[in-house]
Amino acid sequence: MIVPFAHVLAISAAMFLMGLACVLVRRNLIMILIGVEVMLNAVGLTLAGASALWNQVDGQIFVIFLMAMTSAEVSISLAMVVYLRRRRGTIDADAFDEMRG
Amino acid sequence: MTPKILFLIPLLPLLCGALNALAGRALPRRLAVALAVGGVAAAALVTLACWPLADGGGTRTVLYTWLASGKLQVPMAIYFDRLSASMTLMVTSVAALIHLYAVGYMKEEEAYARFFALLNLFVFAMLAIVLADNLLVLFLGWEGVGFCSYALIGYWYRERKNAEAGRKAFLVTRVGDVFLGIGLLWLFRLFGTLSITEINAGAHYLPPVLATILVLLLLAGACGKSAQMPLMTWLADAMAGPTPVSALIHAATMVTAGVYLLCRFFPLVQQSPAAMGAIASVGALTALYAATCALTQREIKRVLAYSTMSQIGYMFLAVGAGSVSAAMFHLFTHAFFKACLFMGAGCIIHLYGGENDISRMGGLGRRSPVVFWTFLGAALCLAGVPLTGGFFSKDAILAAAAGGGHPLFWLLLGVGLVTALLTAIYTFRLLYLVFAGECREHEPDHHLSPLMLWPLVPLALLGLGGGLLNLPPMVGGGETLTNYLGSLAGSAHAPSHLAESVLAVASALMVLGGWLLAKRLYGRGPAREESPLAGFLLRGWGADRMVELAILAPFRAFSRFFWRGIDGKVVDGLLDSAARGCGAWGEGLRQLTTGRISRYLAAFAWGLVLVLGWFLVNLGWGG
Repeated sequence: MIVPFAHVLAISAAMFLMGLACVLVRRNLIMILIGVEVMLNAVGLTLAGASALWNQVDGQIFVIFLMAMTSAEVSISLAMVVYLRRRRGTIDADAFDEMRG
Repeated sequence: MTPKILFLIPLLPLLCGALNALAGRALPRRLAVALAVGGVAAAALVTLACWPLADGGGTRTVLYTWLASGKLQVPMAIYFDRLSASMTLMVTSVAALIHLYAVGYMKEEEAYARFFALLNLFVFAMLAIVLADNLLVLFLGWEGVGFCSYALIGYWYRERKNAEAGRKAFLVTRVGDVFLGIGLLWLFRLFGTLSITEINAGAHYLPPVLATILVLLLLAGACGKSAQMPLMTWLADAMAGPTPVSALIHAATMVTAGVYLLCRFFPLVQQSPAAMGAIASVGALTALYAATCALTQREIKRVLAYSTMSQIGYMFLAVGAGSVSAAMFHLFTHAFFKACLFMGAGCIIHLYGGENDISRMGGLGRRSPVVFWTFLGAALCLAGVPLTGGFFSKDAILAAAAGGGHPLFWLLLGVGLVTALLTAIYTFRLLYLVFAGECREHEPDHHLSPLMLWPLVPLALLGLGGGLLNLPPMVGGGETLTNYLGSLAGSAHAPSHLAESVLAVASALMVLGGWLLAKRLYGRGPAREESPLAGFLLRGWGADRMVELAILAPFRAFSRFFWRGIDGKVVDGLLDSAARGCGAWGEGLRQLTTGRISRYLAAFAWGLVLVLGWFLVNLGWGG
């Protein structure tokens, strides 16, 4: 493998943290979703890297699954974002606090 | 004739009572009432028909086994000997007359079914006590009598006072019942059987100390039911019930149960001279106490209630002196004249339209001759005027006390004589205030139904002629009852004829003295001035107050300590603070659920940090 595994891990960790930061800091629902996507892709990168490292195909199969799942998730969550936007006229996450105890 | 027929005696009143209880309101009134009277009257007839069965050693018969558990066998057994037969006849016949009177007395009452059902049940319970050959059956009747008295005294329960009187009767007699229960269990433990006849037969094997304790336990039970010291406070308040109930309690059922219990267990009782002394002392002291209380009572029924207490005290004295026959003799004559007196008192109260204060009555003699003559006859018996039934029976008791031999009995004899004087005073006071002179406040204007009048006549005659039951040899009689009871009559030594004559003359003088004194004091109407002594006696020596101070107040303080202190402060406090803590904790946690997704996500991230940190730390330590 040309790229050392440590670099792969470093990049995916950086991506994961950036995605996490995006999820935590942003209030826009679409931005939060994007953050989640970034985190998922960071995990996918790790899996692909590990698969290459140990010459096992499992990790790459897993990434395929991950992509399929992600596309389903994104389509549903974007539909929900549209729906919420229609109902409230906003996509600010803090506006939806009906679950307050 | 099969002996099983004896079971009809208690079961007939029970059946009629049950019918009245279940369907009394649906039945036409005449039928319901006829059932009540008929049940008891039929029981009296069955008793008469079965009379020969009591001869010899009596008849013991078993209906079925009530309980069987290992060694414990409880048959529904009846023992019909001469003691229980004569008692049964008295109870059923007097109760039948009282029932008849009650039909007239309760004419206006709506809840007649409840009343007559309870009245019949009352008679059933008493018959269970009288006829039982089994301690458990006896106890069933004993508690049944307690329950019925509670329900009947509080019959007009809408008035708080009446309900409280019923409760008081129930609770005070219950104190005695506890001792009786202990005694019965102990007897079972010792003898391994609950049969009264077997226990009596084996009584002389008991060591004296044990016999004394057992008899004292029985005495405590008898004191509760028979309203003897110190459990006497309920009887005067029991006047809250309807008059037929008072008549039943005082004459035929309930208060005589204690005397009968001691008579029934006399073979056991006589094993312990010390306990017999205690019985006699309790009786004599109660007789004196109640007679003094009766001197100043204003309510006619309270006078009679205290007189009952006093007369029952005489009966206890007789049992203590060893003479069952004298006790039973006085029990019978007392039942006759006291039932008559109570029913007469009911008539008097009715005539005055509900007035029961004798100081407001007067001049009734001319208005209602039947009531006057019957009441007079019964009152003369109560006072013990010579040649009435009451005179002979009281004299038999005094003679038994004189034959007691021990110096204690001479003292008790003196107490008995003083009580005779007091009895005469309060009886003649009652007669003068109610019947003599002019009417003081209310003019009697009510009408009496014949059903209320004519049961008085046979009872008054029975009371007056009751002496014939057991005429002493002194006046040429043959002591019929004593001879009839035979070995059941007790162990009293007859005093010499001279002593007996002296006693008779002395008690006659007491009556004469009492009469003259009462005439002087009350011949012209009630005493006007209120002395502190009269108030003291009116309140029954402040017995209620003493009970209140000695038992109820400490008990109440004790209860309040446990309620307010232990339960309220400690238990509730602990639980409340635990609940408050949980509540505050939840309230704090509630602040976390803001409903904002960003917060949740942040918490999620922090959780992740914590989990990862935990793994890191473990990794570091684990190497």
